[in-house]
Amino acid sequence: MNKPMNKRSEIGIGAGAIGLGAVMAIGAAQIKSEAGYGGVGAGFLPWLMAAAMALCGVLLIVQAATGGFRAMPEGSEDTPAPYWAGMAWLSAGLLLNAALITRVGFIPSCSLLFVLAARGFRLSMGAGRATLADWVRDVLVGAALSAPVYWLFTKLLGLTLPGLTSSGWI
Amino acid sequence: MDIWNSLLQGFMTAGTPINLMWALLGCLIGTAIGVLPGIGPALTVAMLLPITSHVEPTASMIMFAGIYYGAMYGGSTTSILLNTPGETGSMVTAMEGNLMAKSGRAGAALATSAIGSFFAGTIATVLVTLFAPGLAEFALRFGPPEYFALILLAFTTVSSVLGQSTLRGMTSLVLGLSIGIIGIDQISGQARFTLNNVPELVDGIEVVLVAVGLFAVGEAMYTMMYEGRQDETRNKMSSLWMTKGDWKRSWPAWLRGTLIGFPFGTIPAGGTEIPTFLSYGAERKLSKHPEEFGTVGAIEGVAGPEAANNAAVAGTLVPLLTLGIPTSTTAAILLSAFQNYGIQPGPTLFQTSSALVWALIASMYIGNVMLLVLNLPLVGLWVKLLKIPKPALYAGILIFATVGVYGMRQSAFDLFLLYGIGLLGVLMRRFDFPTAPVIVGMILGPLGEAHMRNAMSIGEGKWTVFIERPLSATILLVCVAVLIVPPLLTRLRRRRTVALA
Repeated sequence: MNKPMNKRSEIGIGAGAIGLGAVMAIGAAQIKSEAGYGGVGAGFLPWLMAAAMALCGVLLIVQAATGGFRAMPEGSEDTPAPYWAGMAWLSAGLLLNAALITRVGFIPSCSLLFVLAARGFRLSMGAGRATLADWVRDVLVGAALSAPVYWLFTKLLGLTLPGLTSSGWI
Repeated sequence: MDIWNSLLQGFMTAGTPINLMWALLGCLIGTAIGVLPGIGPALTVAMLLPITSHVEPTASMIMFAGIYYGAMYGGSTTSILLNTPGETGSMVTAMEGNLMAKSGRAGAALATSAIGSFFAGTIATVLVTLFAPGLAEFALRFGPPEYFALILLAFTTVSSVLGQSTLRGMTSLVLGLSIGIIGIDQISGQARFTLNNVPELVDGIEVVLVAVGLFAVGEAMYTMMYEGRQDETRNKMSSLWMTKGDWKRSWPAWLRGTLIGFPFGTIPAGGTEIPTFLSYGAERKLSKHPEEFGTVGAIEGVAGPEAANNAAVAGTLVPLLTLGIPTSTTAAILLSAFQNYGIQPGPTLFQTSSALVWALIASMYIGNVMLLVLNLPLVGLWVKLLKIPKPALYAGILIFATVGVYGMRQSAFDLFLLYGIGLLGVLMRRFDFPTAPVIVGMILGPLGEAHMRNAMSIGEGKWTVFIERPLSATILLVCVAVLIVPPLLTRLRRRRTVALA
């Protein structure tokens, strides 16, 4: 029933939960828990959660090893292989945006995010090579979306977003 | 009558031009995001949370509530015209509604769902008006042990009922509770889970960041990786006119849907999915035209579930306002909006912020009328939103995600964290871990911990404090039942089928 590929990744999820539980236990050990009057201090919940996370991990592995996760939605066995090329475009967009936003300002950074993400989605839908016109259009749409958003939030709602210049418009 | 006076007062506040404008804005945004697939009310309210520092509480709560129930109206449009539901609450509508549309009755399906939503939304608001103040008064008797028990109940129901598997629901909940621990402990002032005092972690992780990460970024990534080549077919519009027979078959379904939906909204069983499925099942059983279900599409199968999801949405406001306990993801985000204003929803809310609460309730009556107008004659406009190509839609959502997250505390660190949480969202979606327990755990965790520690102080360090008080003992018993009864029932049923075979 359970394909070996699925089984391996399900065990991986369980192992991840156990690992997370271990990290949380280290974090919990650093908390000075003076229980005081109530008998329950700052360290109680962190320890409880670390233990619960590890327990969930163990139970997930048990399920994975004995026929797979229970009650999965229909058809999840046949989920297609992930489309990594599109994911790479999307990741580049998101991470570049995070790295550049304070340096080049909100509008250019978000336009870049738009261009890269949109390109990834087009590829994932089976589009071919992008022409120069495609790129230009995406840049324009990206800028046409991020600029009004920037003005709306900074001018009208008083939010602070980084600009390229100090004029407050770009 | 006291309620009547308060409600009138509420209408006076909600009826000012500026507040009417906020309600209209909320309804417009709500319908739009309801129509657009891939973006829901929880995410939208989360992204708009930064406005709480610039807009007064009444105005923003009116708008947020408008977004919440507006999304339910808009969601049905997508479910009927496209083969993907706009919202999880309209999954069932997608089944019968889509079939009706395929046999050329899209207009009647849209009409019955809009009018049914209005009908259910209004009746449910009346129920909120009648019951919420009484419940709040009763809840004044609750102490920390009762609150802790109630929060525990919210945890068990949200993680065991919402998802298919209790284990995966619990894992999500533990994850949410753990994220909620990150930061400074409210009682002792110690930093917890901050990886040796990383400054961004000492401040805690905002709910907005996690919600946007899981719902917007995670959703975009998942669509990119797994659903790129999925085909979408669009159905043709037809006349909105409902025949006499349609009306006759619709109204009992609306009524039943409302009666099923409202109580499900008020109990902490999470969300609108369950009541819509129940209503669908009931309609299918009771219908005089069972042959239409699953073939040409039965109008009752659209009318009932649509009424149920709107009634459930109004119902979630009861525990949110009277107990401070959110029973759905969107309600959880609304709770954190209240907290941003330093308002803690709970039994005393009807006394301390009575103007705000009644204005909010009054605005729901007004909003339902607005939405009926927005959704019936103007449905053609909303349908145009479905023409936005997928790449532009998702890439655009990411721009708004950036505003929502970066705007909170101007930190690029948060944008990297957002990416990480997006990846987590993909994993959770791929292996069917429910996301609602993460958000509910994050928001209610710190509250629950405080109540637990206070209760322990009251009980002088003895755990028996939770079972010595009859109210908290009863609630705890219900928690145990929620965990134990469903698996027992399945086991019994399995044994019976085995015996029969």
